[in-house]
This record gives sequence, structure tokens and C-alpha cells, in this order.
Amino acid sequence: MRALPVFRRSLADSWRPLIAWAIAIVAVLALYLPLYPDIGGNGQLAQIIEGLPQGLVNALGYASIGTGAGYAQATFYGLMGFLLLSIASISWGGAAIAGAEESGRLELDLAHGVGRTQYALESALTLVVKLAALVTVAGVMVWTLNGPAELGLDAEGVLAASVSLMGLTLIGATAALAVGALTGRRAFATAAGAAIAVYGYALNAIANQSERLDWLRNASPYSWAFESAPLAEGFDWPRLALLWGISAALVAVAAVALRRRDVLG
Amino acid sequence: MDRPRRPCLPDTPPLLSDNLRSISIVTTLWREYAAAMADRLSAGQQRDVDPDAGSASRGRAIEVHGLTKHYGPHEAVRGIRFSVERGTVYGLIGPNGAGKTTTLRMLVDIIRPSSGTMRVLGVDPRRGGPALRRRIGYLPGDLRLSTRMRGRALLDHFARISGPVAPGAIDALAERFDLDLDRPVRALSKGNRQKLGIVQAFMHEPELIVLDEPTGGLDPLMQREFIDLVREARDRGQTLLLSSHVLSEIQQAADRVAVLSAGRLVAEGDVESLRLASIRRLRATIAGTTADAVGGTLGSISELRDLTLTPGGEARDPVRVAATIDGPVDPVIKALARHLVVDLTVEEPDLEESVLSLYGDEGRQGQETSLGTGSRFIRRPRHAGDGHAGPRRSGDTEGGPQ
Repeated sequence: MRALPVFRRSLADSWRPLIAWAIAIVAVLALYLPLYPDIGGNGQLAQIIEGLPQGLVNALGYASIGTGAGYAQATFYGLMGFLLLSIASISWGGAAIAGAEESGRLELDLAHGVGRTQYALESALTLVVKLAALVTVAGVMVWTLNGPAELGLDAEGVLAASVSLMGLTLIGATAALAVGALTGRRAFATAAGAAIAVYGYALNAIANQSERLDWLRNASPYSWAFESAPLAEGFDWPRLALLWGISAALVAVAAVALRRRDVLG
Repeated sequence: MDRPRRPCLPDTPPLLSDNLRSISIVTTLWREYAAAMADRLSAGQQRDVDPDAGSASRGRAIEVHGLTKHYGPHEAVRGIRFSVERGTVYGLIGPNGAGKTTTLRMLVDIIRPSSGTMRVLGVDPRRGGPALRRRIGYLPGDLRLSTRMRGRALLDHFARISGPVAPGAIDALAERFDLDLDRPVRALSKGNRQKLGIVQAFMHEPELIVLDEPTGGLDPLMQREFIDLVREARDRGQTLLLSSHVLSEIQQAADRVAVLSAGRLVAEGDVESLRLASIRRLRATIAGTTADAVGGTLGSISELRDLTLTPGGEARDPVRVAATIDGPVDPVIKALARHLVVDLTVEEPDLEESVLSLYGDEGRQGQETSLGTGSRFIRRPRHAGDGHAGPRRSGDTEGGPQ
């Protein structure tokens, strides 16, 4: 009997889509970052931005797009990367328990002698590992393009932004996991994860509109991840702890919920 | 509990009349008590000699008391009670929606009972956890395997959880069922997925194997192979609990049977004497005679019910006969043989039909709520002629808890 059967099976069943996501992320980065010297670094983009309504610029987080870190943040970490990773991880979170239950896989695994807590924890581990893989691919790609695209990023910034992005998207994923464990319904699970992601982003975008609304950031996971500009400033440990702590709590909710209820096919 | 594994056929009629039943309960209760005392004594002696002696054949693999499950107002299982001796095959039959799947799922802790107690391999499934479930092989009734993994990889996955699996065991089973383990599971046909399900339930030779509608999707040849597999497992000392809505399947495989209907256990007994088995639907076409003449020969046969005779249009056209045989078929066949039989069908009736016709409203409303313990489980005769061991109707075992 070897360790982590659920984790191993999940990976065995899903490495193909994982590779597809990685390719998508590499493609997005390859598309956006090399444009920086042409449109960001020489002030062209700054001119374009000046022509845009201030509200829109703030909402998109384009205010500091004139720097390498600001550009990478605005285009990838704060937008496309967040979007792609959220979609991927929320769908995984919904598939992990609720999807397994709807497909009948959970019933068979549990009957074979996987503990329910073990199942929830191994499912969470799968989420973390797969997300880490994508974030790592993204980080390596950013670092590779750092020189050619003249972004001027430092390693700590890339690392800090990666950990922030991962912590942010992991909340959506673990919310989906927890709601899946509570309800056994994949649709509910996915909806919950998506709602968390949209909520965080929307709240942050509204807060960008006015300094008077700054307090909204306190309630937005998106702001916790990116308000301190990790690409430029490095790790913001208290907020990272908050992000990851919420994910840990959601995993605990998933484990307890799954232990308590009937598993339905 | 040192009864012979295959009991002698009871020579009493399967169902006693209502008057005799109460006497039977008293004798059964007494025999139950005596047997329990004897078991206790012999078990104590055994333990002194060898704690594991005969562990495969003695004791109960499953004990269920007052098991109830409701989903909101809907009661799926309503206070059922049964027990399965180790080293035997126990069949759970009933129409669809009778509560079979719910019961089996509770035994493996997939769903939790609303009330009642269970003991599986001596442990409460709610407390037994993964360690208990590794001792159980389980085939879900609604087996849906949609993974891209190959059959072998999927079985390896289950072996990692429930192992160890003896080397070669998987291949031997796969070969036996003519199952290709190198194809992706989701590309397999329904029958082949079912075979995969059977393999995963048997491969680690668990003490208890719980199978929900195991032969669904299997062709007749494979069904026979499956029955052989079940018997071999039993002969090795494993205990099997299987559900079906097909009576003949249970008849071939099981030693003992419980009939579920609408969440209640309406009958329980040795499979050979189960009265359900004796109901047959008869259809025949008879030529060269008249409906009156056929009615004359068949009308007097007490085993026949619901006799319908449809005469042909012309005087000498064949007569169509439809009836229900409730008992031995022999007198009916002998009577028919006096005529020219053009066509004859004798078939097992729909299980729902037979449960309802035999157990009537009990199957729907049920009288079982206040069943006592002890008398519920009918002991097999210790030697030939040792009383009645046929199936019992639930209403005949009223009694208080021990």
C-alpha cells in the first residue's frame, strides 16, 4: 500500500489539461511581455493611458504601467494570469470532491478505504501542486523574458508575485472545494469559486476609483495579493498569511463537511 | 453456529398456515435460545484453544437492527433487520426502489443511517473507518467509470488503497472475464466496465464482499462465470452480500435471501424454500380441442391461479391459455400434456409483481416496525427434519426486544 492514492490518481487523470493550461500561460506571457520595450518603456503607452478615462485606467490597474513591474502586473499577474489561473483552479476545485461524487468515483474510493479527511486533504494537495506547477511555469517564463523585454524585475519580486497570485487563486479553488464538499454539487462549487474571484476583483476595481473607497480593499483578496505591488516591492508577509490562511480554513471546512454527510451518487 | 453450510431442504411446506405459525414461533424462539447458549459455550471453549479457530465460518459478518434511512420525508429504508453468517452468500432482492442500494451503501459508510445499529465484521461502519472498509470489497449499483486511465492503472489505484493484492490475481480475474486491461476505462463497454467493477471488488480477497446488482450489463456466459466466482469466494470462507432485482440470479448464488419492498424487509429465509421462487407465469397454446375441455383439465389444479382461456375464432382453432403457477409446475405440465401443445412458455414473473402478490400490502405499508430480536433470524435445521426453516413473513415474528 503506497501513499497518497487520491493525489496520485488525480494527477494521473489530469496531467493533460494541466499541460494545456501551462501552454496557454506561456503563450499569453510570450504575447504580452515582449511588447513592453515598444509600447511601455518608451512612454507610448503612457500617452495612450493618458487619453483614457481615469476611471477605466484605475479599474484596470494601469496606473503604473510605465514601469516593468507595473506592466507585468497590469497585463499578467493582475489580469490574464489571474483570469487563467482562476478558471483552471476553480474548475479543479469543483471537480475534486463534487465532480468525483457526481461521477461516482468518490463512492468507490471511499468504499475502498480512503478516509474522508484524507480524501479532502489529498484533493487540496492536488490543487496546491497543480497551481504551483502553473505559477512556476509562469514565473520561469517571466524571468526568461525579463532581460529581452527589458522589464527590470528582480528575482524576489517575481517570487513574491508568484506566491501572491497563487495565494489569491487558491482561495477560489479551495472555496470551490469546500462548497463541493458541503453540497456534492459541482455546479454550486464552481459558482462559489467564481463568485469569490469576481468579488475580489470587482471590489478592488471599485476601490481604485477613489481614495475614499480605499477601505474596500480590506475586504478584497485581490487587494491583499497585489495592493503592495509584490513584483516591485517583494513579499508582504501579513497579507500573504491572510490569503493562505483563508485557503487553509476552507480546506478544513471541506474536510469536516465531507466527514459529516452522506455521499450521494 | 456449527451448522452445515448447505442446509438440508426443509420438507415442510414453505409457508405455514396462520394457525400453525404461532406455534412455530414458540419453537423457533426456544431453538434460538438453546442454540445461542450452545454457541456461547462452544465459542468460549474455542477461544481457549485457538482464538482464530473457524473465524471464517463462525459468527456473523453483518448484523443490522432497526436500520432506517430517510431523506427528508421520504423513507428509503424503514427499520430493517437481518444478519449474514460468515462464509455464506446472502441475497437481497426487491423491486427497484425497494431500498437495496441504500442499505448496502450504509454498510460501507457511504451514507449514514437515520437510526438503527449495524455491525459489519464486528465493527460499526461509522466507527470502523478506512481500516474496516479495506476488509470489504464493494461494487456500487450504479458503476460509472469515466476515467481516461487504463483498466490496469485503475485497479492499481484501488490496490494501493485496499491492498495487498496477490501477484497475478488481477490478471487471473481479468482473463477469466475476458477483460482487456490495457484499454482506457472510458472506452470500455458497459459490460466490460462492470467486469472491471467485479475485479476491483474481488481482487484483494476481502473478508466481506458487498455487490449491488453485480450482473447488470453482463452477458449470460459472464453471469455464469460470476456465479462461479461467488461460490469459490464463499468456499474460501469469504462472506458475500449481493442485491438484485432478478430472482433467478439470487437463486443461483445465494444461500439465504431477504426480500425488500418499499424499504421494508418483507420476508427472509433459505433460498431453496423461498416461496417467490415457486411462482411462474404460464402461457400455452393448445390445438385440437375446445376451451371448455382445457378448462376441465386445468381447472382442478390447485397450483394454478388467474387462469384465462381464450378460444380461437373457429371451433377447432387453438386455445390460448394464460395462468400463474404457484407451486410445483409438474401437475400443470402433466395436465397440459393430455392435449396437443403447440406452444409453451413458463417464465419467472416480474419481481415486483411477485413480491406484491405474495406479500401484498405488507410490501407497501409494512407491519415490521415492532419486530423483536432473536426470532427474526431463522436458524437452519441442525439435522434433517428438524423443523421448519422456510421463509417467514415479517408479520409472524412479533416479539419484544431482548
